[in-house]
Amino acid sequence: MNDKALIRATAVTKCYPNGTQALKGVDLQVSRGEVVCIIGPSGSGKSTLLRTLNAMESITSGEVMVDGVSVHARSTDLNRLRTQVGMVFQQFNLFPHMTALENVMLAPMRVSKRPLDEARSRAEKLLQKVGLADKAHVHPGQLSGGQQQRVAIARALAMQPTIMLFDEPTSALDPEMVGEVLEVMKDLAREGMTMCVVTHEMGFARAVAHRVIFMDGGQIQHEAPPQPFFDAPSHDRLRAFLGQVLK
Amino acid sequence: MKQDRSRGFWYGVYALVLVGLVAGIWGMSVRVHYDWNWRDVPQYLVSTSGQELLAPFDAYVTITPDGKTLSLTEYGGERSASYTDFEQAYAESGDLVFRDDLLAYQAGLRPGILLIGLWMTLKLSAVSLVFALLFGLVAGLGRVADNPAARQLSSNYVELIRGTPLLVQIFIVYFFIGTVLQLSAFTAGVVALAVFTGAYIAEIIRSGIESVPRGQMEASRSLGMSYAQAMRYVVLPQALKKTLPSLAGQFINLIKDSSLVSVMALTDLTKAGREIISSNFRPFEVWFTVALMYLALTGTLSYLVRRLEKRLAHE
Repeated sequence: MNDKALIRATAVTKCYPNGTQALKGVDLQVSRGEVVCIIGPSGSGKSTLLRTLNAMESITSGEVMVDGVSVHARSTDLNRLRTQVGMVFQQFNLFPHMTALENVMLAPMRVSKRPLDEARSRAEKLLQKVGLADKAHVHPGQLSGGQQQRVAIARALAMQPTIMLFDEPTSALDPEMVGEVLEVMKDLAREGMTMCVVTHEMGFARAVAHRVIFMDGGQIQHEAPPQPFFDAPSHDRLRAFLGQVLK
Repeated sequence: MKQDRSRGFWYGVYALVLVGLVAGIWGMSVRVHYDWNWRDVPQYLVSTSGQELLAPFDAYVTITPDGKTLSLTEYGGERSASYTDFEQAYAESGDLVFRDDLLAYQAGLRPGILLIGLWMTLKLSAVSLVFALLFGLVAGLGRVADNPAARQLSSNYVELIRGTPLLVQIFIVYFFIGTVLQLSAFTAGVVALAVFTGAYIAEIIRSGIESVPRGQMEASRSLGMSYAQAMRYVVLPQALKKTLPSLAGQFINLIKDSSLVSVMALTDLTKAGREIISSNFRPFEVWFTVALMYLALTGTLSYLVRRLEKRLAHE
């Protein structure tokens, strides 16, 4: 298992200048094609951990390796690394001054220097994949939250990443739109994409994850495959947390 | 219905106040025995005295007896020239004229000194604006940069310029920097206005950049874009669109501020007004005319900007 690890975080700590410790020595390994869901109460450090994986957040000590590259080493070309690691945000963060299609095309054209035609046809295919081919020429402001998040997923996929990070992708959505986004994510998982998902959607975690991680107080408290994780939680704090969210 | 009547009443009040103001100005001028004479003003806008005809080289003048043809024979040279399209000759037959001497006035209209001044004001403001935008963009980006040198320098620039009067800056640029670097009055004016306006534009651009949600930069960086690419393709387009009204306001300020360069040897609209007054002693008419011309310029501009804003809002 260790040999196949695409992501390997070792003893990662993160201290903010004001003294709060967001991460207190976290070890995490994710294999190629594995789907890992990270759950936990707010402030537990789960989003911070996710964001250290593509250096959107710096770390205080420890090491993060992604596909054999040390993410936080000074010599690492972060822009290049990030093309391999797609990220989807809670607030979508689509570019409001561009159409859905232009949102998806921007990075392939400007970062990978793909020609216009190639970028466009790939973007069209991706929008079709997330079920939004008919919204290609619409600006984000005219899309629903669920549609915006699906465009954001297409945008991240446009760089053909090997890993996808999801930071609470459905938390800012109205309940009736959660399903359409989770459907797209399930498709991705089925295709064998390596995924790290910070989520509050226990149903999704149970159905799709290969492994579920419970974080609290900046540490990983418990990790297990979904079946034992949810059906027989062996950990006290996890039991209390699940009791709260599943109530 | 009742509301209509009260609105009508207040429009009446408005009209009364305006009439009162005009009457007040007129009354004051009567008290100082001011003798209004608007008929003198149009010639400063459009001059009817026609284009000047200047000698192209040193020459002897010959004018035919009917006074319709003026010929030149070069002094100590081979060239000659003759003119027929003029109104009134200022040279006489047998005169020796030198290059650029006035020979005659040609028929037709030419812009008066106020229009020439207006054109100078416009040119000065437009050229200054281009450089002000450049300075403002660089300093604005510096203000939000991570690099301490860029941040400190931009911040010092903004503080220094905003903390000192424009007139003093113009004197420093014209008399000190202008003398050392041998700048023309126009260049010195552009430098002073661009540096001054650039500091204000820097603040506008900084606030525009800061008004774009952080997530925009994060999403761009997560896709592998560099900081510069994210700024150029994602953050700045949004920031500039948001700050367009303030930028336009700053351009209008620039036009008005440009009147201060009239302290240098540069005939802008304000200087043109002062020159006219020193020859005809009609300050009231001339300053009102000059003010109206500035108003026409800034009014047109703000109208254009409002239209542009509407177009952008549609997109």
